[in-house]
Amino acid sequence: MIPFELAEPRSLKGALKLLDTEDPAVRAFGGCTALMLMMKTGVFQPSCLVSLRRVEKKHAGISREDGGLRIGALATLSSLEQSAAVRKAAPVITRTLRTLSNVRVRNVATLGGHLAHADPHMDLPPVLIALDAQLTAVSVAGERRLAVQDLFTGYYETALVKNELISSVHVPAQDGRRSTYVKCTTRTADDWPTLGIAVSLKTDGTLIEDARVVVSAATEKPLRMAQAEAQLRGATVTDAVLARVGEAAAAEAELIGDARGSAAYKRELLRVHAARAVRQALAGGER
Amino acid sequence: MASTLGKTNSVGRSIPRVEARAKVTGKAEYVHNLRLPGMLYGKVHRSTVAHGRIRGIDVSAAQAMPGVYAVYTAADIMKLVPDPHYGPAFHDQPVLAIDKVRHVGEPVALVLAADVHVAEAAAQTIVVDYEELPAVFDEIEAMTSKAVVHEVLKPAGTFPDLKHLKDKRDTNIALDFHLRRGDAQKAFAEADHVFEHTFRTQQVLHVPLEPFVTVADPQPNRLDIHTASQSPSFVRIEIARLLGWPESKVRVKVPYLGGGFGAKLYIKIEALTAIAALLAGRPVKISLTMEEQFYQITKHAATLRIKSAVTKDGKITARECEVWWNGGAYADIGPRVTQKSGFTAPGPYDIDHVAIDSYALYTNLPAAGALRGFGIPQLVWGYESHTDMIAKALNIDPLAFRRKNILKNGRPQATGTIMQDAGIEKVLERLAERMQWEKPFDHGQGSIRRGRGIAIGFKASISPTTSVAIVNISADGSVMVYCGTVDMGQGSDTAMAQFAAEALGVPVETVTVVHPDTDVTPYDMATLGSRSTYHMGHAVKLAAEDARDKLMQLAQEVGLSAETAPIPDIFRKKYGMQAGNVVGVGSYIPTYTSPDAQGQTTNATPFWMIGATGAEVEVDTETGEFKVTRLVNLVDVGRPVNPVIVETQISGATLMQLGFTLYERMDFDAGQCTNASLADYKIPGIRDVPAVMENEAVDMVQQSGPFGAKGVGESGTFGVSPAIASAIDDAVGVRLTSLPLTAEAVYRGLRANAGKPLED
Amino acid sequence: MTTQRTITFILNGHPASAQVGNHQNLVEVLQGQGLCGARESCAQGLCGCCTVIVDGKAVSGCLTLAPLIDGADVRTIEEPQAGSKDEHGLDAVQQAFIETGAFQCGFCTPGFVLMTRQLLDAHANPSEDEIRHYLAGNLCRCATYPEVVKAVRLAASKRKKAGKG
Repeated sequence: MIPFELAEPRSLKGALKLLDTEDPAVRAFGGCTALMLMMKTGVFQPSCLVSLRRVEKKHAGISREDGGLRIGALATLSSLEQSAAVRKAAPVITRTLRTLSNVRVRNVATLGGHLAHADPHMDLPPVLIALDAQLTAVSVAGERRLAVQDLFTGYYETALVKNELISSVHVPAQDGRRSTYVKCTTRTADDWPTLGIAVSLKTDGTLIEDARVVVSAATEKPLRMAQAEAQLRGATVTDAVLARVGEAAAAEAELIGDARGSAAYKRELLRVHAARAVRQALAGGER
Repeated sequence: MASTLGKTNSVGRSIPRVEARAKVTGKAEYVHNLRLPGMLYGKVHRSTVAHGRIRGIDVSAAQAMPGVYAVYTAADIMKLVPDPHYGPAFHDQPVLAIDKVRHVGEPVALVLAADVHVAEAAAQTIVVDYEELPAVFDEIEAMTSKAVVHEVLKPAGTFPDLKHLKDKRDTNIALDFHLRRGDAQKAFAEADHVFEHTFRTQQVLHVPLEPFVTVADPQPNRLDIHTASQSPSFVRIEIARLLGWPESKVRVKVPYLGGGFGAKLYIKIEALTAIAALLAGRPVKISLTMEEQFYQITKHAATLRIKSAVTKDGKITARECEVWWNGGAYADIGPRVTQKSGFTAPGPYDIDHVAIDSYALYTNLPAAGALRGFGIPQLVWGYESHTDMIAKALNIDPLAFRRKNILKNGRPQATGTIMQDAGIEKVLERLAERMQWEKPFDHGQGSIRRGRGIAIGFKASISPTTSVAIVNISADGSVMVYCGTVDMGQGSDTAMAQFAAEALGVPVETVTVVHPDTDVTPYDMATLGSRSTYHMGHAVKLAAEDARDKLMQLAQEVGLSAETAPIPDIFRKKYGMQAGNVVGVGSYIPTYTSPDAQGQTTNATPFWMIGATGAEVEVDTETGEFKVTRLVNLVDVGRPVNPVIVETQISGATLMQLGFTLYERMDFDAGQCTNASLADYKIPGIRDVPAVMENEAVDMVQQSGPFGAKGVGESGTFGVSPAIASAIDDAVGVRLTSLPLTAEAVYRGLRANAGKPLED
Repeated sequence: MTTQRTITFILNGHPASAQVGNHQNLVEVLQGQGLCGARESCAQGLCGCCTVIVDGKAVSGCLTLAPLIDGADVRTIEEPQAGSKDEHGLDAVQQAFIETGAFQCGFCTPGFVLMTRQLLDAHANPSEDEIRHYLAGNLCRCATYPEVVKAVRLAASKRKKAGKG
């Protein structure tokens, strides 16, 4: 790695000011895990890094908000994992974190960085989309709110404009929705997922009022499966319905083949695991 | 209390490793830790093309970078060493590429700087102009390819078992090995059944967590080399040869290794580091990154075609094996893999008529060499899958089929060597017992199906090779063992201490094992092929016995009884104070007979290693995903020297092979490895360990071994891959013939069986 | 602003300082202090060989920028174990790793020992599943994983006994 400057502003405002530059080699970081890898391989050579770790503590806070959650973007993944508020409001997040990367990375990586990195293999984006979460993005120009599902615009690409930061994530009240995340790995247990499927159901246990089905890892960005969701909406879950959910997801997802599996095989995995994920969600989300 | 030359029972006890405390406190010494005053760091600029002529190298930007001490290319190397080619089989590998590159990742230039980050940044600025040449990557294509990797081959002539290598031109065949026993052609013509299958294995690598690292430190008229090497003696010989110096002017020191597995054998980055240090006149350290390890040395991808003649009632009468080993751009020790492993290609079966053709091939991929098993796991994968496919076709139980054909002691192996002290039958029978093979097995139902499989393999030890050891008794009765065996985690320090203690009859706590330092420790061929327990074990035992005899003489001389007098008393009586030493020397080389033109010899190996695995799997028929739920590993290691360490070796070897069986594969695009990192090349982690693992060393004694012992490091690898493949076949009727065994391959097999193949 | 700075931190209970480049990592800082127990291997935070405890939490030294250590409490495998009754100053985890033979080459061992301490601090009596999940980010190419599971269990029982005694 080659030398660069490092700034540690004491406020988010201060950080945004430093980021308000034309220099593309100025970047902010939270935990500096993903960015560190990019710098080590020479993919990114910074002129200046802006550390967010000394900004106001509130940006790392986790609190209940309108029955849901407000999570500061600088909250570490391990603070999410250990948060009683998260476990209560959205236990699927707690469960997902257990197999997300490893303890040391979770200890420093932040939720904001996890989202902004926009690697389609990340575990929380599909989960947050299934939970219908929103985020607040800030820049010197002000702040705006957008749905997490609208954050991702492509492979490692986001809707964040230049020098805009994620400041918080908002998970709405789940009102008894049942959610699950299936991380499907085809090599070692600690590999990136070959396929991720997040499902969230509004149901009385039999009839499904509303469903969100999100596919990740095998796609260039996490995506809602509208046809699969349509099969579930208003349906009572039977093997036939589940088969149609799997078919619909397999038909509509644009899947990418790689070393973890061909696109054709990932389609078959999706067909089977989408249906199983729905059943798992219905059973209470445990896996 | 001072010790006497009494009797101890050191061999066979599970004492903790002698270096245990150093390792759990982070204080164990590795070359990785070493920093010397004035030391420069070297970073390598590597080839970006698989095969090409170098038209020019522009190092000007690197040279101009502040903090860069020097930039070297082959031209600089050749000022000091006119012919800078090295290698254990052929002198085919240049210290830095000369005129031509033969694989992506080949070292082309070296940057030295006091700051490693500066060296790294400067190495990236070097620009090389290549004229790309046609490349060959596949081992079968390499047999006939017009793309020739080496124009000229220079046999090294170093090792007695590789003296027959030839100077060949216009071919990619580094070595062809042939064995003929009986009349296979006739037997095939007369056979009731003939079966023929082809199996493939993928290119994988060792991934020691301590990547290659060497520090060279020029001294007045000498050179010190600190290196993470499994073969300090060979490094000394080869560096001295390159420099034209006597061996005594080169000192090679090896502390602990953070893993070796065959990667750190013979000579790797030592020549480059040594010559750079001499050119610079400063200590130089080269540490490869994890990514760079992918370009250094790998395990052979191989293709095995195997054909068997079988009688109606299941007796194998003839077998024909053709093996093509993908050696990559440099031969390294591939020719020995081709030959030593080649002659066991028919498996541990009693077959009268055998024909083997085994080829070491050059391709434009990173070089392949020794990796835990030295070619045997590739072969066992093929011949044991073949065995089960025949059994299934003939509707014979796989265990019964093996029993009918198993190679027993007293019978000739394919080389004609009569089997002795080989627990093949015992290992197979204990495996059958532990698997409860003859009891009904629950194959599951619905979308979860269960299956089981067994496989057994064997390996010859390398021969003829030499080990020398010195045992030094100090005047206080404590003991030093000087030997060149490298402890890379296998526990050799502990085993050698146990051997010395047992032979001397002193407590093992009084024995210290001195790490390899060629100024101090005598010659050892290398730490490889599970040879150290046997060969160095013998040398240490002989040295200890020599020291014991000398001490007894001394005791007699001064009128004391060596059995009852404390050792310090003997020295004190002789020298008038705590002074003096008794030094014993042991040198060991087993007998060996070179094979004839037909590959026949009466003495192919000093001992045989046997390993077998039983596997149980659960397969999801809807996705092909499967879990290995149980692995049972049986080995014949002779008498276990340290049962706990032996079990760890069995289990570790098995899990490493599990990685090669299920997960690991180097992916290439036009010769460029596309997954050169642990994020993309997945080795097993703790969650990948099967729920049930059982390991057992069967009750055997190697009569010719030191205290009945023989090697243990590789045997656990042999049976893993075919046992799992057979278990999958048993569960869902899908027979895979290529590694790794992936869920996708199983799924595709299920679809093919259903007549609805999955599109690509 | 510059690309260099002086940092001060607490290293294994004692004040320390270092002149570092912003681009350097924690492993390099520790090497500069003569501590080699944290080792950069995979360079991606996956293998755990460079595990260091910073402000009470385990981190990958290879992914930790040196300047971020300024003001931190840093603990490494070399830290003497206060209150150890072992003659060599080893704690229950280190003793358990030795007694169960839970390592071979030893290169990854400091990381496993430090992570096991963290695990047992959080869960005094972890299940096998908890052990496997917690240590999923530590690789051992010698694959002494079955022995590591045994070592963690033994360490848990040693700590429990010591707590009672």
